[in-house]
Amino acid sequence: MISDLEQILNLAQQEIQKINTLKELENWKIKYLGRKSDLSLFLKSLKNFPLAERKEKGRRANQIRESLLELLKKKERVLKENSFAFDDFFDITQPGKKIPLSHLHPLTLVLNEIVGIFEKLGFQIIEGPDIETEYYNFDALRIPKDHPARDMWDTFWIQSDNPKERLLLKTHTSPFQIRFMETHQPPFRIIAPGRCFRYEATDVSHEIQFHQVEGLMVSEKVSLTNFKFIIEEFLKTFFKKKIEIRFRNSYFPFVSPSLEVDIKIKDKKTKSIYKDKWLEIMGAGMVHPELFEKVNYEKNRWQGFAFGLGVERLAMIKYNINDIRLFFSSDLRFLKQF
Amino acid sequence: MKFSFEWLKSVLKFDLNPKEIQEILTLNLAETTLLKRGTRLILEIELLPDRIRNCSSHLGLAKEIALLKGKKFSWPAVKVKEVKTKTKDYLNIKIQTKNCNRYVSRVIFNVKVKESPKWLKERLKDCGLRSINNIVDASNYVMLLTGQPLHVFDFDKIEGQEKKKEIIVRQGKNNEKITTLEGKEYLLNEEVMVISSLKDALAIAGIKGGKKAEVDQNTKNIILESAHFEGSAIRKASRLISLKTDASYRFEHNLPLELSNYAIDLLANLIQELAGGEILKGKIDVFKKNGKKEKKLIVLEWQKINKFLGVNLDKKEVLEKLRNLDFQILKKTENYLLISPNRNNYREFNYQEEVIGEIARIKGFNNFPSCPPEEILKLPEENENWRLKNELKSWLKGFNLEEVYNYSFISKGEGELFQDKTKKLISLKNPISENFYYLRPTLLFNFLKNVKDNFRFFDKVRLFEIGKIYYFEKSFVVEKEVFSGVLAEKEKNKSKDLFYEGKGIIETLFEKFGLLKEDYKIKEINEEGYKSFFKKGIEVLDNENNFLGVIGLIKNEIKEIYDLKSGEIVFWEIDLENFKKMIIQEIEFQPLPLYPAVIRDISFFIKKSVLIDNILFTIQNSGVKYLEDVDLFDIYEKEGEEKSLSFHLVFRSKEKTLTSEEVDQEMEKIYNSLKNIGAKIR
Repeated sequence: MISDLEQILNLAQQEIQKINTLKELENWKIKYLGRKSDLSLFLKSLKNFPLAERKEKGRRANQIRESLLELLKKKERVLKENSFAFDDFFDITQPGKKIPLSHLHPLTLVLNEIVGIFEKLGFQIIEGPDIETEYYNFDALRIPKDHPARDMWDTFWIQSDNPKERLLLKTHTSPFQIRFMETHQPPFRIIAPGRCFRYEATDVSHEIQFHQVEGLMVSEKVSLTNFKFIIEEFLKTFFKKKIEIRFRNSYFPFVSPSLEVDIKIKDKKTKSIYKDKWLEIMGAGMVHPELFEKVNYEKNRWQGFAFGLGVERLAMIKYNINDIRLFFSSDLRFLKQF
Repeated sequence: MKFSFEWLKSVLKFDLNPKEIQEILTLNLAETTLLKRGTRLILEIELLPDRIRNCSSHLGLAKEIALLKGKKFSWPAVKVKEVKTKTKDYLNIKIQTKNCNRYVSRVIFNVKVKESPKWLKERLKDCGLRSINNIVDASNYVMLLTGQPLHVFDFDKIEGQEKKKEIIVRQGKNNEKITTLEGKEYLLNEEVMVISSLKDALAIAGIKGGKKAEVDQNTKNIILESAHFEGSAIRKASRLISLKTDASYRFEHNLPLELSNYAIDLLANLIQELAGGEILKGKIDVFKKNGKKEKKLIVLEWQKINKFLGVNLDKKEVLEKLRNLDFQILKKTENYLLISPNRNNYREFNYQEEVIGEIARIKGFNNFPSCPPEEILKLPEENENWRLKNELKSWLKGFNLEEVYNYSFISKGEGELFQDKTKKLISLKNPISENFYYLRPTLLFNFLKNVKDNFRFFDKVRLFEIGKIYYFEKSFVVEKEVFSGVLAEKEKNKSKDLFYEGKGIIETLFEKFGLLKEDYKIKEINEEGYKSFFKKGIEVLDNENNFLGVIGLIKNEIKEIYDLKSGEIVFWEIDLENFKKMIIQEIEFQPLPLYPAVIRDISFFIKKSVLIDNILFTIQNSGVKYLEDVDLFDIYEKEGEEKSLSFHLVFRSKEKTLTSEEVDQEMEKIYNSLKNIGAKIR
């Protein structure tokens, strides 16, 4: 039995530092604080001391007991915190629980991105029908019957009992321009996503259905250089990569001049199959004045630009997809990648 | 369209860099590629419909190149050496149709038909044409040079009165036949215009020559034709007889009226150069009475030019470009120019914006700056429908469903499965195949195809789509958006689980948009269009009995059509428009309750045939007070006729804390009512 109190404390302090498990700590507790510990025995033996000594030694013994309890508490906390690693073993490298995860279609993602950028620029979202009349799809857009320009749009015609009004599946989103202008006065800026249809053989870059986003901005002074600005802002934001943009002459009867906008991806690191070549992104131009006449706008007052961009095309470039038909395959192996 | 680079160079008489020309044409005219045939360069240009009129020829393209290079270029003048014999003594032309605006003709005697020289053959070949003989090649060559399609007839093969031949331009007759140069027979009708002798059709006007008056080895005397036909008439005829040619393609685009008169002289000279002969004096030039159009005048405002383009163009630059474009400047003031396209200008202009656009084009769109618009700062009006669809998509994705975009079409066979007397399927006049035959009246069919395809790789398929369905209702076109989904599992005996999950998705979704159970009704399915697809299904109605949608388990007969024998499929479809009308857009906060709730459980046996709906109705209508919520938390179906049900009942008062005795009293009412419908309280 160690009767020197200070020595008890010293030993206890030294020993507790080496302890690594709760089990060892339990033994330490028995050894220094248990009923048969030196300290307990010492306290029991106090009554044999003279009164004055008893008082002093008793106080000191209790102080030490407090210190040991304090040590025990601290050590216990430390060990419990670490007990993950030492007591109950488990493999943290094992994969986590599978949480079922679903996906939005890549066309939804791209459509929302396109529309979102234009909304920030103050464009209002407009929607319209898939089944159109010949007037809105062609005639109102200066594409008369028996005109060679019609060849640019291979059309699905609808079987209908009404001989007066020929119905078709819209071949582009441009009918929205007329539909909107018929009921709204400028100034305005609209963005109109929609599904389009073309009667043509399908292959990696052609589908019988696809999506376009039509844009139209009209005011007293919105100009060709404004058009260039808006389109460049959009393309730079959408592609986030380094791209080159060029404007090229084209022909759409409802805009004059007519333009085609091309981009080229200039990113040395990209593995894109679309890099380093000019890619057609959209058709565009300044609204032809005859359209304003068709919707009875005040003469010679308004001007503006219109554009139509292919959603699948943008999605293919963005995600490096090589076959347009994948979008409508509903193949989960494809859809789960987005 | 193919162009010989050497030819262009020889016409233009200034040096051209092929790469530079390719680039400049691609940017300012149309996509151009540079091809090589041996040492010869060829430009292949995808000309756009509005440029055929003035650019489908080497002279036209030369003019265009000069314009883009900032140079002036005029088509060369042409003079013909004629003999004294008069054309009109040997030829008479009659136009008997409104579709021919001008017919110009010449006669050459004593030509020698033979093989063409090498240079001519090469140029034709470079432009994609075959060499026939010197006469035919000459007419093709002049077409490539000027854009004007031309034709040559054998003078001696045409009937006439004595020496004088007669050519008539008229519409075809029904059942009239013609054999073309390649020996193919065509059946004509009144929509097809012909060039005819007194007896037979000699050529399909503007499309193809006929065998009868063909130029052959023995031909000596010839008649040249250079005409202007109405573009839409040629287009219609060419479609009717399914014959497209270099000539019909050019005529379709309404060539300039002046061109026919110019090209015939070039042709006469070239034939003389290649085949000898005497060109008779004078041309027969027959016009339609109102053939000549009035001169068009356009007012071009200086201010409009700058406003339209968004930059201030130098006035001198504008004037120079207008002159290069062959505009006559008739008047020049501080504010505007009065201009007129002159006869060499082969483009049509009706609006000043078209002229300004043309100025911008030849300046090059890439040479303009980009400037932010100065417009009123205004928030766009929100599109509620668009927002709702996106919110729905987020929730549906959250329910572990994958989004798909299916075709708007269904097959002919699938269409026959759709039976609804009030709705008629919309079909296409020109379907691309029987697989894409009708417009879809429901999203179901395409989903079933998706399930089949994906079952090859997955045991569970969970999909949704927000899209349009289409049909005729009382001969009106109906086109409306729905949100639909499908849950499919290969495993058997999952029908109930799947059904309740699908129903749960709909109920949760409705709740997310503020629709509580009392806001809509659920009934056994009755809607005709859908009924036949389900073995077990329900329909959802709003409280005014408007149709909201359906959900149910797909019948085995339908599944088998898609080779889906094992496993179960749940499908739902909700009408977006009707759903939108019901939902409460704004979420309104409810104050937290002031007094505590008392929760009691109740369990009882009851016959399996008693519907949960009936039990809930009974509890709610037992005269009970303070009942805040009823929640079914356990169903146990033992063998035999009965099932055991357990509910949590939540009681709460808005005015006080309820005592145990008060709740006991209310429970008593519920016990009594339940006993009345045969419940045995446990």
